[in-house]
Amino acid sequence: MNKISEEERQKILESPPVGTWILMLSVAGGMVAAWLFLYYGVFLSRGIIN
Amino acid sequence: MHIDPLERKWVLVSLGMCALFVSIIMIDALFHGVNAPSNVETIDSRKIHLSEEFGEDNLGVQVAENGEITVRMVAGRYAFFPKEITIPAETKITFRWVSMDVLHGVHMPMTNMSTMIVPGYVSQVESSFPRPGEYPMLCNEYCGLGHDHMWSKVSVIDKEEWDASRAASKTVTSDTIDEEQNNE
Repeated sequence: MNKISEEERQKILESPPVGTWILMLSVAGGMVAAWLFLYYGVFLSRGIIN
Repeated sequence: MHIDPLERKWVLVSLGMCALFVSIIMIDALFHGVNAPSNVETIDSRKIHLSEEFGEDNLGVQVAENGEITVRMVAGRYAFFPKEITIPAETKITFRWVSMDVLHGVHMPMTNMSTMIVPGYVSQVESSFPRPGEYPMLCNEYCGLGHDHMWSKVSVIDKEEWDASRAASKTVTSDTIDEEQNNE
């Protein structure tokens, strides 16, 4: 196993969690897109109700 | 209380999504009139047949002089009266429902027309139907042993077809009146 230096280890620990952000925003983006599709594409397209 | 920074990010994203959804719904409700039906109007369910508005002769589709279309229907175990109606597409329709006996619900699948029909109250829903076709009108609130057979039919026709049929019926009516006057 390659050993990393203390400096590299600190750099990894202090760097922003890019992978987490990508995952989080992908899931959120997908959910928002699905909600908007259902609201505007399915619900409102069937006629406004009041 | 310590909250892990990553957990805080997840929570903020979730709350942000909820805030977005709520704000879209509120904007549509406030500025475009998209809201759940809300009407408080009482009626004596035992005397519906004696009322002027929901008497048997007054049920069904009615077109006012200003062109507004109102559909008056009665729900009772186990049918909707009248059993079949024809309405135009892409036109605002006002539905007024009463129940003659117990709690009913009415829903037209593939549309947004859906409401509860509570005995003692008039349920009013305004909606429009963009797509012509044949739609069932189903009872979606258990009302007894025949609940699953409680349905009626709604024919949504093109607006042009509706206008043409109304023009034709007016022509027939005026021809009939002229004929009667000539016979006199």
